[in-house]
Parts: sequence; C-alpha cells; structure tokens
Amino acid sequence: MNKPSSFFIDHPPSKSPMPKKTLWLNILFTTAILAVATLLAYLFFYLGKNTTSVAIIYILAVVFISRYTAGYIPGIISSFIGVICVNYIFTYPFMKFNFTIDGYPVTFTGMIIIASIISTMTSHLKLQSRIIHEREKLLMEAEKETMRANLLRAISHDLRTPLTGIIGTSSAYLENQETLSEKEKTAFVQNIYEDSNWLLNMVENLLTITRIRASNTALHKTSELLEEVVAEAVQRLRKRLPHADIQVHIPEDFILIPMDAMLIEQVLINLMENAYYHGNANQPIILNIFPRNHQIYFEILDFGEGIPEEKLPFIFDGNPSTPNQSGDSRKGMGIGLTICRTIILAHKGEIHAENHEHGAKLSFCLPLREDEEHDA
Amino acid sequence: MTLKPTVIVIEDEKNIAEFIAASLSAHGYKVLTAASGQKGLSLITSGLPDIILLDLGLPDIDGIEIIHQVRKWNQLPIIVISARTQEQEKVLALDSGADDYITKPFGTPELLARIRTAMRHSQHSGSNVLSALEPMYLSDGLKIDFLRRLVTLKGEEVHLTQIEYKLVSLLAKHSGRVLTYDYIINHIWGPYADNNNNQILRVNMAHIRRKLEANPGEPHYIFTEIGVGYRMKENQQEMDGKE
Repeated sequence: MNKPSSFFIDHPPSKSPMPKKTLWLNILFTTAILAVATLLAYLFFYLGKNTTSVAIIYILAVVFISRYTAGYIPGIISSFIGVICVNYIFTYPFMKFNFTIDGYPVTFTGMIIIASIISTMTSHLKLQSRIIHEREKLLMEAEKETMRANLLRAISHDLRTPLTGIIGTSSAYLENQETLSEKEKTAFVQNIYEDSNWLLNMVENLLTITRIRASNTALHKTSELLEEVVAEAVQRLRKRLPHADIQVHIPEDFILIPMDAMLIEQVLINLMENAYYHGNANQPIILNIFPRNHQIYFEILDFGEGIPEEKLPFIFDGNPSTPNQSGDSRKGMGIGLTICRTIILAHKGEIHAENHEHGAKLSFCLPLREDEEHDA
Repeated sequence: MTLKPTVIVIEDEKNIAEFIAASLSAHGYKVLTAASGQKGLSLITSGLPDIILLDLGLPDIDGIEIIHQVRKWNQLPIIVISARTQEQEKVLALDSGADDYITKPFGTPELLARIRTAMRHSQHSGSNVLSALEPMYLSDGLKIDFLRRLVTLKGEEVHLTQIEYKLVSLLAKHSGRVLTYDYIINHIWGPYADNNNNQILRVNMAHIRRKLEANPGEPHYIFTEIGVGYRMKENQQEMDGKE
C-alpha cells in the first residue's frame, strides 16, 4: 500500500525537475564563468590598461560557456552580458553605458558576432558528436546482431547433425524391431547414446555462452585450486567417453587461479574431446599443465594427423568456410573451439593451435593473478 | 532380501520419470512416481518409501520445501536430481537435509550407486555410526582403521596431521556421499569457524591429496565437486559384504 502512493507523489515532480535542474546548472555555470572572467578582466585592465585583452577574456568565457552548457542560449546571453560588461565597466565613462564613442560600436558588434558564432558552432559540434556517437552505437548493435545470427546459424547446424542421427536411428529401430538382430539393435541404441551425449556437450557449450553474455563479459571469478578443476574436467570427460585415454601432468604445487571454474572445465573438456576424436585411438591424449612467467599453461596434445596447415589460422573462427566439411561436423567440433577462445579471452588469457611432430597441440594460458581484482 | 525396497520418484518430466522407473524396477526396486510436489508429499506420507528421488525444479512446490517437510518427521534418505548449473541449489538442498545429489543427465549405474550408498547410510541411522559397526574403510589399497586411527596406502602407513586425519575419516565414514564445504568445516573446525572462507579446507584437502593420490590431477580416492564439496570413493569392504 505504501509503495504506490509514494510513487505517485514522487513521480510528477520528478519529471519536470530534469530540465529545471539543467537550467539551474546552466545559469550557475554561466554566472560563475562570467564572474571569473570579470574578475580576470578587472585584473588585466588595472594592471595592463588594455581593453583588447578584456574583450578576449570575455570571448574565452563565452567559448567555455557554450562548450559546457546545453543549448545555444547560455552562450548568446553571456556574449550580450560580456559586451555590456565591457561597455559598462571597462570603457570610459566607467560605470555608464556609452555606445557612441568612436570605434567602439565596431568592437562591440564584432564581439557580439564572434561570441554568437562561437557559441552556435560549439553547440553544433556537440550535437554532431552526439549524432556520431549514436550512429556508432547503432552500428555496434547491428554488428552484435549479425554475430548473434551467425552464432545461431552455426548452433542450429551443429544441433541438427546429431539430432538427425538420433531421430533417424530411433525411427529405424521402431519400424524394424522385428527384423533387426540383437546386435544391430544394440548398435542402434549405442549410436543414439553417443549422439545424444555429443548433443549434451553442445548444450553445455551454449549454456556457457549465456553465462558469458548474461554477465556482460565480466566473469564471476573465484580462486580455484588448479588440480580440482582439472580433475573434475577429466572426470566428466571420462564419464562421457569411457574409452578416452588421458594422461595428466600437473605441477605438485598448490596453485590457485582466479577463474570461472565451470567455463574453464568446459574449455578443457572441449579441447580433450577434440583431441579424442582427432587423435590416434592407440595413443593417449596428453594434458600438460605448468606455470611460467606469472601464467599457467595448459597443453593438450593428441597423436593424430594434426591440423591441416591451411586451416590453422581459422580454427577458432567457428564453422569451417568449406561447406563440404559440414558432413563431418561432429568431428569438426563446430563452434566448440570458438567458445573456448571466447572463454579464454574473457579470462585475459591466450589460446593457440599448432602441430607438433606427431599430431596437434592446442594450448592456452591463464594469468595466475588478477591485479585489478581484490581477492578475498 | 525378499522385500523390494520402495523408491518414490518425484519428477515432473514424464520421460525422465519413466526411464528412472524402468531402470530401477529392472534392478529390483519397487518404484512409485509423482509428477508434482503435492502428489509426491502425499505419496511419501502414505507409501513410506525407503528412499526418495527428488527433482528440484517442480511446477508446484519448491524442492527445498519438500525436503524441509519430510525432514520435520522423518530421516528418509533423499537424493536430489539437479542440473549442472544449479550449484547454489544443490548446496542449499544438501544443507537442508538432502543426503546426496545426482546431476542430470546421469546413467543407470551412477543412479544405482547413489541409491545404494544413501540407503546404506540410512540403515546405520544417523550420520556418525560407521565406526562401531565397521571400524574400517577399505578401497583399492587405501585402508583406514578408525579404531587405531591408522591410515595405510598399499600396506604403507600414511602420516597425516590431526586435522588431515579428521578430514579423511569424516569423508570415509560418509564414503560415496558428497559432503558440502559447510558440513565439513562445521564438523572439523566447529560451528564458529568462518564458513565463508573455505580456503583452509581446500589447503588441507590439497595436502591430503598429495599424500594419498598418485596424481593430484587424477584423484582416485577423493573427488572434488567444485562449488559443492568433496566425495570419497565408496567403501569396498561394505560393498563386498552386501552384494
């Protein structure tokens, strides 16, 4: 009951004070600048007996006023006041208006014109910069939109592949239950199981993106124990890919790293899964972790064919540009690597892909310490 | 055991409820399902199950509320089913009295293991019981003798500090079950410890890992559930005795 009433009382006045406040601010600022200008002019006038510098000081004041107030009016008004002040205070007869003295009318009209021009020009400039700013914002929005659209396209493509497999296999199973042998049935269900597991990782990747987007790239970082994060990632991958052979080499030290553990786990899982699909099944995937130069390095090595040289520069850019690759998109990891890069960059780290002698090597590093954050 | 243990599954997703029911029935459980919290609560009061599987995201009542309701009058084991991203809810559910949780999606073996663990712990009634009945934890070469306060790894004694031993034995007595950071800190450092700072716990766990695990990056006995707590590998001695 209390809330709405206070809302109604507060609201109507709060609508008009906004311009009123700026108006008062304008008046205050104009008066202050003019006062300072008058004071300065007074000083100059009595020290140097120079009327020109007085006029210049007033013009400067007008420039300042039109730059830092809203609209044309303060600038023009202050230029009038300036002219009046020059005439009234600083020209003979002092403390009297006299516009008839030889040459002065020219000075005064000149001053008023200059002041008006400057004040209109600065307000015009302000307006223009605001327009440019708004246009830039619109452009950025549009760019974000296209990025989102591209991402969505990549995602739907990546989701469709395993879904097609699942729907096809399960409908084949349902239609041919009588004629299928037990072995075929098991193989079918196994395929469905694998496809849906892959789909699950995909969805977790997407969740990851929303986690980054929702918090506007300001990650929710906590100090995590390196070995715990790595262990959980390996454990989760083993749950999904029981046949994966992974060798973990981790430093003996007690290392705390500021990170969003869920996101880094996702990166590790993506990279290890990638290595699993691309590597040689008979040789283990190697995960090396070591600190160096205030960074902690993670290396994932597989022993497969490696990454084709021509693809190396674009490997983190999402879907391969070659459309004939799409049939193999499960092994292509689709947007998985792009997400890895997004996560690592959000952590102010770096990620690289290269080939070693017997396969591919993907590595990333994270800063050991975050200086701008006060750690609890 | 001739009488089938009864499981109540409170889950609003029909497909998930069905698959849980199917796989549990196949393993000798009697399964009752409820698609809403209200129905689940009345099923619990009328059916008196041996264990409850509870999905946290129900349409009518908050899952946490159901845990509170049940805990008012009964210590039935409750296993919470939750999604990966809901760490906060998991911790809240555990601290509200749930026995364990399982993360969606899960396979049947994992679910069965959790149910077995939760039921065994409840049969010993209460939480701090194991030592009297089975004064031993045994798993893959790791042996903890609670009476002699002796920890051996493949026959060799492991030297643990006082706190480390307390930690290991606490986890071992609840082996197979996840223990939240808060629960562990309260039991080791007392109720006045600073629960918001689990750094001391993690440092101690890191030390223990270095003494027990061959590779801290691939733990074999004590597993971390990041954001939630720790879980120790199932006590094999008990499992062998049971099966």
